[in-house]
Amino acid sequence: MKLLTHNMLTSHVKGVTKGYPLLIKATEVKVNEVDFNPKFVCRMIPKLEWSALVQAADQLGHREDLPGELVPDYEKNEDFLRKVHRVLLEVEVIEGCLQCPESGREFPISRGIPNMLLNEDEA
Amino acid sequence: MMEEAASQLERDHVHSVYDKIAPYFNDSRYKAWPKVRQFLLDLPPGSIVADIGCGNGKYLHINKEVFKLGCDVCRPLVDFAWSQGHEVQMCDGLRLPYRDGCFDAVLSIAVIHHFSTKERRIRAIKEMARTLRVGGRIMIYVWAMEQKRRKFEKQDIFVPWNPNPHLSSAFNRDDTKPRRRAAAQSVSEAIDNTENYRKVRSTSSVADEEDVTQTVPQQRTQRLWFFSRSLDSVFDFGSLAISWPSSRDLRHLSSATGENEGNKPNQRARGRGLIKQVSSFFSPPSVIGSEEDVFDSDTDLQKDPNDPRGPSNPTNNNGKENQGVSVSLAQECGSLALPDLISLQQENLRQSEDQSVREPIGTGQHEGTQSPEEQVEVSCLRYYHVFREGELAELIEHNVEELHVTQNYFDHANWCVVAEKVQLWKI
Repeated sequence: MKLLTHNMLTSHVKGVTKGYPLLIKATEVKVNEVDFNPKFVCRMIPKLEWSALVQAADQLGHREDLPGELVPDYEKNEDFLRKVHRVLLEVEVIEGCLQCPESGREFPISRGIPNMLLNEDEA
Repeated sequence: MMEEAASQLERDHVHSVYDKIAPYFNDSRYKAWPKVRQFLLDLPPGSIVADIGCGNGKYLHINKEVFKLGCDVCRPLVDFAWSQGHEVQMCDGLRLPYRDGCFDAVLSIAVIHHFSTKERRIRAIKEMARTLRVGGRIMIYVWAMEQKRRKFEKQDIFVPWNPNPHLSSAFNRDDTKPRRRAAAQSVSEAIDNTENYRKVRSTSSVADEEDVTQTVPQQRTQRLWFFSRSLDSVFDFGSLAISWPSSRDLRHLSSATGENEGNKPNQRARGRGLIKQVSSFFSPPSVIGSEEDVFDSDTDLQKDPNDPRGPSNPTNNNGKENQGVSVSLAQECGSLALPDLISLQQENLRQSEDQSVREPIGTGQHEGTQSPEEQVEVSCLRYYHVFREGELAELIEHNVEELHVTQNYFDHANWCVVAEKVQLWKI
């Protein structure tokens, strides 16, 4: 699971209203090499919940010096874009779980795949 | 409750079947539908797209400029998609784990026809609409009831899984083409190792049929369909019939399946259990007490489908109406000039008024007991609700006000709708 994906994921347990962002507890993290496409990264940024991204990167110990808030004029800031690229697309959770911030319910991640299926009583 | 019945039906005849047949999907035969491919290619760079019900991820490689993620309930298929380098999750179409308005586009290709009630189909569409941003677009493909040369007789059907398309080509002097065409939807899952492209798993229809004709010598075989009344109308039901072809007939169909090799007693029991389970939606288990019962003439019961073990619910004894829930098996016999949608047990049904089934000739339906191979086939029946022309667009227009239908067309064996998410203003 990449952090770009994580940014879209939310807890959908019945009754939960503050299920986003999911907390990440990772037991295995990989960092891959992915071709850097600055335009792509630029276009992704406005679609992100920025603070959720930073929090997630932090939880994985991969935040490095990613700013807590979006820098102005980031489109031209290649250094910044590279950092974002890394965190969004190169860092990957292979094993672990995602935890609902409200209910505490844990959704397992195994072999890179989060299992967001709910039980009968949670749906 | 209806919800439980629906959920159970989908577990047994969608989820568990795909779990079993997943390995067969990951082969070279499946390619992307061109119009779906184009939809993806037309997306502005930097878009985020979700393929809801992505299966083995056949669409996730298209268009490198957009970020794609996929989800499905089937673990083996999702695992395969991940092995191809895609971002995928396990989830249920009725409860998508994505925040509101986060996608620029959504795909639902040959998925929602597996939901067994209208209400669930609507909920699935609404869930996808929820995750779309305003201005975002969704493309939905579902199996069409109307095929080019014929239609399914009923909208709610069970389709057996056939891993080998060559055996499944029906040979019929009188009426070869139409038969194969209607049958082709389950040919779509066939394995053909000689061909090297990928195809949508459940809607191969025309393309598959043509491929099969060209590459495979025609063989005589049987096609099996189960037809059932929709769960939506299950409270109207009155009669039930399950018929079964002879063991001889079924042997062709299942002989290619590798899994026939082992554990026959188990499969037999499992198959029988499944017949009971399927039929229990529509009648009490006492009707299907043994294999011989399956061929019994009088299986007409007035019973609450949701309470199969309980006493007869008087409100369901609408004897007069007698709208049959008929789970009937239609057999396509190569040598017979028959439409593909016939019931073997037509003579045994207490007919409901709109049953237009015809009796097959010489199918030996009272022959012997089922072979273990036949039982395996029962366990690989997939449930489909095939859509009539206009039904999908209508479903959206009447029930999903946040979506505005922009395109509505027929593509091979599918009805397709493209819709745009609109802003709703609540006063």
